[in-house]
Amino acid sequence: MIVAGSCVNARLITSTARHRLDIIVVLAQKDFKVRYRNSVLGFFWSLLNPLAYMVILTLVFSFLLRVSIPNFAAWVLIGLLIWRFFSTGTGQGLTTIVGNPSLITKVHVPRYLIVLSNNLANFLGSSLEFLALLPLLILLGVSLTACAMFLPVLLALEFLLIFGVSLFLSSLNVKYRDFYQLWDIALQLGFFLSPIVYDASLIPERFRLLYSLNPVTRLIESARSIFLLDRLPSAFDNTVILSSVAIVLLIGFIIFRRIETGFAEEL
Amino acid sequence: MAVLEVADVWKRFRIPHERRATVLDNIASVLSVLAGRRYSFEEFWALKQVSFKIEQGESLGIVGPNGSGKSTLLKLIAHIMKPDKGTIRTSGSTAAVLELGIGFHGDLTVKENALVYGVIMGLPRSEMRKRTDSILDFAGLTRFQDAKLKTLSSGMAVRLAFSIAIQTEADIFLVDEALAVGDTRFQEKCLDKFREFKKERKSIVLVSHNMDLVKSFCERTLYLLNGETRAFGPSEEATRRYLEDTKSSVGMSWQV
Repeated sequence: MIVAGSCVNARLITSTARHRLDIIVVLAQKDFKVRYRNSVLGFFWSLLNPLAYMVILTLVFSFLLRVSIPNFAAWVLIGLLIWRFFSTGTGQGLTTIVGNPSLITKVHVPRYLIVLSNNLANFLGSSLEFLALLPLLILLGVSLTACAMFLPVLLALEFLLIFGVSLFLSSLNVKYRDFYQLWDIALQLGFFLSPIVYDASLIPERFRLLYSLNPVTRLIESARSIFLLDRLPSAFDNTVILSSVAIVLLIGFIIFRRIETGFAEEL
Repeated sequence: MAVLEVADVWKRFRIPHERRATVLDNIASVLSVLAGRRYSFEEFWALKQVSFKIEQGESLGIVGPNGSGKSTLLKLIAHIMKPDKGTIRTSGSTAAVLELGIGFHGDLTVKENALVYGVIMGLPRSEMRKRTDSILDFAGLTRFQDAKLKTLSSGMAVRLAFSIAIQTEADIFLVDEALAVGDTRFQEKCLDKFREFKKERKSIVLVSHNMDLVKSFCERTLYLLNGETRAFGPSEEATRRYLEDTKSSVGMSWQV
């Protein structure tokens, strides 16, 4: 057991909470900058990527396969943005511990802050993507109503979900680097297990309930509901999302706590 | 009042027995663990029953051959690793400059990395913004402040880490060989800073192979050999013991 020394230098070293907040801010800033550094288009790539997908998917599904979903372009874009937040958030969250050995072995910083800051940087990036693409949604005929104000709540819930998953994955990835590959496959599977390019009604009746319990599916349906149906997410949506966030965070923290003492030795 | 108290500290590392080189080896070993067989490893005790205490204002030198547990001990004191047994108590804050400086992100600039490092070391963000110029000046890196960190030489990176660490006004400084990488001029500057700290009755824990440096700064020295305390006491005595052992090759297994 280590008894941490109390900070006697009150003038400079402020309270622990303040210190942690400062750490979160500088680490999130760092991750945000690193993400767009060294590329000419920087943040624009974050907009171009979902836009390109939207165009391709609309061409394929709306024109070639003649899927009859009204306003398919807007519909698919909303799903893509929610999915993109989840897949980049967890994909990058997974590598935070392994990718920052000097933060683990050279300095003492509460390890979960490293994961949290990275997730926050992603949260900021994804929120900006939504904000920047709102005009396009309007252009595509989506009428923004008061329901759209619910979007920040949805994104915040998704952020908490991503944080829980990242805690779980980033610590396990220190022990077994296989998780990097595994999660890559899981995400590809997840893309098709969520109603991004097809409507959930295509799922056979007997799998429907199981299928609907996927929190990402609920997030996508909720986002579509507030933008396209002018309706707040249903009680079912909220229940599934909130309980998955709670479960995932709990498991994430338990696993992370258990593995983190060995981080410095494994890296 | 003891500023640092290490009591009966043990630290173990595991050296896996079987060499798992291929995917098949790995799968086989995972399966055997699942089947209830513990995977076998050798226990390697990096530190065994280490105990010592230093008082307010005293400094400690840690000497010993490579692999004797010096850096591990420093990491335990810095709370980067946890001991398997025993306790480490520090009164006051610690600042550690370990091995080859910082490298939080090679693609970010020297200035940006300095901010991250300083804040993690305990300086508030507002304070860091005010001090960045003087830090870069002390490190002699003002010209390179907007260069990417990866373009610095290792000596320069250590200078940066060091210059930030001394700004934190911690009560205990942990320094791991860092000085050896800086050039003579920078070493002189650091030694001046150390003398200042000693006047302020701060403690320095110095891992070094430079016996003269240890003798001139540290009242007490811990001589570690294979993870055990071979000598602890006044620096003159402990370093002499180390030099004698080196000459007679006691315990220097890798030389045999």
